[in-house]
Amino acid sequence: MKLAVVVQRYGQGVHGGAELHARYIAEHLAHHTDVEVLTTCATDDVTWANAHKAGTEKINGVQVRRFRVSTASSARAVSRLSERVFHQTHSLADELKWLDASGPMSGSLVRHLRKHGDTYDFCLFFSYRYCHAYYGARAVPSRAILVPRAERDDAIGLRVFRDVFRGARAILYNSPEERSLIHAVAGNQDVPGVVVGAGADVPQNPQAGRFRQKHNIRGPFALYVGRIDERNGCADLFDMFQRYANEPSARLSLVVIGDGPLAVPTHPRIKHVGILDDSDKFDALSAAETLILPSRFESLSRTALEAWALGKPVLANAQSEVLKGQCGRSNGGLFYRDGEEFAGMLQAIEQNRWLSASLGQSGRQYFRDHYDWRVVERKYHEMLVQLQNAPPQHVMEPMPGWSARRRRDLEPAADIVRSLS
Amino acid sequence: MPEFNVRSDSVNVEHIMEQIRARIREKRGVDYTEAQIQELAAARLEKYLDPNNVRADLLQEFHRVRSASDAPDPSEEVIDESVLFETHRPWLRALRKILRPILKLVLNTKALAALSLRAKAEVSRRSRDQLTFELVHNMVVEMTRLCIEVKNLTMRVESMQSRLEFNERRARALEAVVVYKPSEEPPIEPSPRPPVHDSRPPAEFRPRHENPRHERPRHESPRQDESSRQDAQAAPVASPSGGAPPSGAAPEGPGQRSRRRRRRRGRRGAGPGAPGTAPMGSQPGQSEPAGDSASPQDDHDSGSDAGDSDSDPDPQ
Repeated sequence: MKLAVVVQRYGQGVHGGAELHARYIAEHLAHHTDVEVLTTCATDDVTWANAHKAGTEKINGVQVRRFRVSTASSARAVSRLSERVFHQTHSLADELKWLDASGPMSGSLVRHLRKHGDTYDFCLFFSYRYCHAYYGARAVPSRAILVPRAERDDAIGLRVFRDVFRGARAILYNSPEERSLIHAVAGNQDVPGVVVGAGADVPQNPQAGRFRQKHNIRGPFALYVGRIDERNGCADLFDMFQRYANEPSARLSLVVIGDGPLAVPTHPRIKHVGILDDSDKFDALSAAETLILPSRFESLSRTALEAWALGKPVLANAQSEVLKGQCGRSNGGLFYRDGEEFAGMLQAIEQNRWLSASLGQSGRQYFRDHYDWRVVERKYHEMLVQLQNAPPQHVMEPMPGWSARRRRDLEPAADIVRSLS
Repeated sequence: MPEFNVRSDSVNVEHIMEQIRARIREKRGVDYTEAQIQELAAARLEKYLDPNNVRADLLQEFHRVRSASDAPDPSEEVIDESVLFETHRPWLRALRKILRPILKLVLNTKALAALSLRAKAEVSRRSRDQLTFELVHNMVVEMTRLCIEVKNLTMRVESMQSRLEFNERRARALEAVVVYKPSEEPPIEPSPRPPVHDSRPPAEFRPRHENPRHERPRHESPRQDESSRQDAQAAPVASPSGGAPPSGAAPEGPGQRSRRRRRRRGRRGAGPGAPGTAPMGSQPGQSEPAGDSASPQDDHDSGSDAGDSDSDPDPQ
């Protein structure tokens, strides 16, 4: 069996969630079958400027084929088109313009798939919301397996993606909440799908003391790992934590790992250590009392899985359906709705050792049952075998005609997403 | 935050969250919904709480407007249409009087007069509404103040209640660790030393594995029994605490003191295994005179014994 993993960016220096997900899946599936990664030459997910040379290379034993991005994106154009398609009545042509502006538009990648698509048994497309997945899945619909990584944001309400969700050969979801969301938007319950997610490679003996010594951190602390920006809920996190820190019984500090456009406030109980490598990150996780996940938009939090793998509880934003569902299913974390609950949950985790330990233990068991790499590889294998043995049951709906694409009769995507809840 | 009630290997997040939320609700008092919080946040309290807008002569103004607007309602019977033709110019008044039948033929002068009266009544009503609004506004101000005051008082009551409960618990905990002596036994000797206190927190705040030790009555300990026996033996020769001996009680003589010293040396000489060695030192402030405390050996013994009496488990 030969598989193609199609993803917008690829490489060891690329730390996006979908990109890491694709890399780990490619590397693990490469142990069992022939895998080729098809990606672009871009490294920047805003401009999609070509940073690598087009051609093939090997990364961690996986064959990678890079294609040039034909059109650079402009953040201004994306913003203007986003306003139109998310908040105004618009046409399918507007959505396609938004998709093209979001990038990465690589004509050579799509041509390669059209021309050589039959050399692959299946093509795994990561991230539904980018050009490579939309046009690529349309190029090889009978071999297209989508790993959508959908979040409950406005983009999921766009009409343009409905045909892809309905016409893909199969969909590999990250969580039951993601599956419900896509079913509600696209009505694709009859498309084969399974909740898989991704595993996490966690070291056996992370050194908590090494992290504390290296960064001069004393006392118990909560940890945030990820991009520091408003979309990830960091502004709310800093605000809520400062209110928590003002309480006399509060003992925890906040350690922030990562970088981003949002400035970390200067506070004696908040420490920003910047971007760390995986070893340091796992040391930090093992030293932390809990991991905080303030993001509203998550399809699968790898950091949460890593925390659970290390037996640490998580504290998640209840507005993220996925995280809330995972905390509920795993019994490995608590979730908060506002600042008061944030403080209450932090105190509960900090002051009740048995609670913290029990949550961590439950989380570890949940990770072992569902997100261990052996489980993930088995699910992929079963799905691929099932698809190989059964003929395709759906066809991708063709693109509407010129006039139909320009008919302004589509509801704002934000309204559609709102109507789902 | 106190321990939760869930005690099992597998935790239930929903259950724990309910408990935490209930605790937050208790702490917060009233559980507002998100919409109510938004509404409260959006309300501009300054608008209501601005005392500069409150008129002092509101009542008088209200009465004045009310009396002015007490005029009867305009009706067909009381409408005087002549007001429509009034003017201060005599020639114009005469002209209007001549043309009045024609005007009445063309226009409904009664209706016009009624409209005029209603307009005046409307102006009066508006000013009365303004006053009513001010009245309601002032009531809202007062209500808001009262609500805030009630809220503050409620919080103070809750705070005092929690303090009271804490003090009650503390008192109970202290009562549990106090050793009562029989009231008929006078103290053995006056003690210039400060009493030795247990430096540990009350039993309620100690780790649970220590609690049963302190819940056991002291009189069950054989050491304690022995100590009280010796106290009872020493009682006839001891003077009451407080310095001056009471009337009828003989002061302690040098012979008695030296006998007691000899007795104590004899006990020390009997070795650590000798009966009665440790318990005697367990209450240093009660059993030794000031002069005896000069010996470092005495201090050491008494200190170690005091520690033993608190920390050694019951041998039985």
